[in-house]
Amino acid sequence: MVERRLLVIAGVLAVWSGAVVAKLSSLQLLHHHEYAQKARAKQEVVRPVPAPRGTIYDRTGQALAMSLPSASVTVNPGKLPNIAVAADLLERVLHMGNSGLADKLKQAAEKGRGYFVVKHSISPEEAASVRALPIDGIEIENHSQRKYPKGILASHVLGGVDFSEHGNAGVEKSMDELLHGEPGQELLLTDVKRRGIESHQATEPKPGTPITLTIDERLQFVAERELAAAVADRHASTGSVVVMDPATGDVLALASYPTFDPNDAPTSKDEAARANHATGVPFEPGSCFKVITLTAALETTALKPESLIDCGVGPVTLFGHSLHEAHTYFGLISMAQVLIHSSNIGAARVGLRVGQDNMYQYVRRFGFGQFTGIPLPGESRGKVRKLTRWTPASVPSVSIGQEVSVTTLQLAQAMCVIANGGLLVKPRLILREGNQTIPVAQPVRIIKPETAFTMRKIMEGVVMPGGTGYPEARLAGYSAAGKTGSAQIYDTVEKRYTHFYNGSFAGMAPLTNPRVVVVASLNGTHGDNGYGGRAAAPIFHAVTMEALRLFEVPHDLPDDPGSTAIAAAAAPVNDLSVADNSAGPNILLDGDDDDSAAGPPGPATGARVPNFRGMTMRDVLAAAQSKGLTVLPDGSGIARMQDPPAGAILHQGERIRVRFSR
Amino acid sequence: MATLPAFFTTLPLFKRAGVARPETGGRSAEISAQRDPFQLRSLPQDQVFFFSKKIDNSRLVRQADPQAKSACWSAIGVASIAVAALACVLVPGAMTTSSGYRLESLRAEERRLMDERRALDLQEAELLSPERLDRLARAQNMVTPKSDQVYHLEGKPDSAVAMVKP
Repeated sequence: MVERRLLVIAGVLAVWSGAVVAKLSSLQLLHHHEYAQKARAKQEVVRPVPAPRGTIYDRTGQALAMSLPSASVTVNPGKLPNIAVAADLLERVLHMGNSGLADKLKQAAEKGRGYFVVKHSISPEEAASVRALPIDGIEIENHSQRKYPKGILASHVLGGVDFSEHGNAGVEKSMDELLHGEPGQELLLTDVKRRGIESHQATEPKPGTPITLTIDERLQFVAERELAAAVADRHASTGSVVVMDPATGDVLALASYPTFDPNDAPTSKDEAARANHATGVPFEPGSCFKVITLTAALETTALKPESLIDCGVGPVTLFGHSLHEAHTYFGLISMAQVLIHSSNIGAARVGLRVGQDNMYQYVRRFGFGQFTGIPLPGESRGKVRKLTRWTPASVPSVSIGQEVSVTTLQLAQAMCVIANGGLLVKPRLILREGNQTIPVAQPVRIIKPETAFTMRKIMEGVVMPGGTGYPEARLAGYSAAGKTGSAQIYDTVEKRYTHFYNGSFAGMAPLTNPRVVVVASLNGTHGDNGYGGRAAAPIFHAVTMEALRLFEVPHDLPDDPGSTAIAAAAAPVNDLSVADNSAGPNILLDGDDDDSAAGPPGPATGARVPNFRGMTMRDVLAAAQSKGLTVLPDGSGIARMQDPPAGAILHQGERIRVRFSR
Repeated sequence: MATLPAFFTTLPLFKRAGVARPETGGRSAEISAQRDPFQLRSLPQDQVFFFSKKIDNSRLVRQADPQAKSACWSAIGVASIAVAALACVLVPGAMTTSSGYRLESLRAEERRLMDERRALDLQEAELLSPERLDRLARAQNMVTPKSDQVYHLEGKPDSAVAMVKP
């Protein structure tokens, strides 16, 4: 009996134990994987691992662009229990004042929007306050924000990024693939209070690669400052400055005016300011191009610096087009003097000696009409007509820097050839990618070293007394060389040349072993102070002196403080590449895939300049007085030449120069 | 009556039925003759007999169980081993969880410090902006030095091409 009871009890216990063991086995063996997954799904949180965008540094290691983590407050208007209360709380917590947030949220809710950004870039304290709000529908989004700590400095070089931190201009765009990081993913095991216990990376983050530019921020600042001051002083519309190292091609500074702050989002109003005038807006270089003409002459003809060139005593007609000097006719002068005094007729005659084929060849050798390869989007290659489209009048035009359009960077690249002994170096903007230094591209010899040295010696005369760049371009304590340029701007609307100029100066220093090449160009200057020697040479002076000081280049000349003073009463710079409006279609009207054209539209119409040619001085003055015009007579006898020419639109305050001779 | 069955056997009904009295058949005389000295006087009509014995255990000496000690120590040892085994199983897990908390908090701290460092780098870059330095210098009536006014006292930068003047 007892044994039966014991057996029964044992049997019950056995069954119960078996059931327990079976259930345990089912849970821990058969369904282990399933329940483990469910547990991990509840406990694991997928957390993004940020990969910040690469920082952009200047060559001295200063950060020009960097990304910072940022947070934004977003709401789902449809999920807010009480829009007015939520808006009021958010405005207080985020210090938004009376921003009308409630109305905006109501409108968004009525439109059925499920996403509304309340505020970008909130502080950590604000984020903590928002998290503490017991309101559904409010989220905090973490993202990255691009910052440019130097403000407008090098803005055209850097460019900018869009809302998703992808570059949309400048280096940010051209190097976007390298700069842009890819965030990773991390699996975080949490406890019941969502505190992390264990984490491991599911996807490795790929941080952006930092980039070091060749830009020197100190020089960049000086270039931008001087450019802005010159544009304001000369009432120009735009301008650009490029500073290069002629040995390596490093772009030490690249400034464009007007400028913008890349920290600000682009608007339709600052679209013009975002144009890079140094690389993207070509212009007719004018007399600066005479350097190319003389270089080609030294290389391909028997001409020497002392060879005499007949520059005439008055206007010359070549192939049906009139060519004349800006002010003075030089007669018979040496080829070196042609450059120093910037004689248009002299340069045209030299160009004719070079010939069409050689001229075209050397223009192309110097890199004109081609991309420089600088990693900046929107670069223009300028325009050089194909040789088949050259007319007999093209050679004299190109010789004086017309019928060809170039960018400031191309001019700088060409000057580097003269500065470094005849090697064409590619402009280099990226110094390092991460820790890897970008090697200098192999330069190509395009002219003989002796030709380059000879040209340097000739160009030194430009900054010496009697030269078109004296005294503005002369440097205290350093030898320098350069060339001024004053090209009339072509009005593409009226299809004629205006009396606005592109005043340029392209130079280098010191003479014996140039350390820097500086090219400055102002667009839209006018009057005597609008010529290259007056408008752009002071920029060259300031920027070059600063560059030589920064790079600790020793003096090679004694200081001469008097020469650096700008002579207010100096004679007008005879530097103008006077254009002939009857010269046929201007190169800037040429159709091309690159539709960047120089020149602002002309100002409002004013009085037309009367024709004084053939009149006596008495008659000229009387006619001018009757029309309320100001005439500057030069010489005596009969009026032979006038500037502006007859029929040109006279602008307010502009004076008419009339040259008389017997 | 001590027991109900004994009661029933005394009844005449059961007597006539021939229900034998248990243990009272032929042995009662022997039992009576050999009365147990410890037997107490029985109760009337009752077949239950009580015996009273006085047992003197004063001469008994309690002796220690030689195996009790080892058994005790064995039990202690086994329990300790069991506890240790349990600890070895549970403690690493607990330590891992605790270390995990600490590690994650350190990682969060590291992230926060890195973000803070980036913010400070940005602040430093803004403070070293050439425009700001220029503005501050001009406010202090400072001017840009000429190139021959700068003397490097400790060596010279690589970019310098001139000897350092004494």
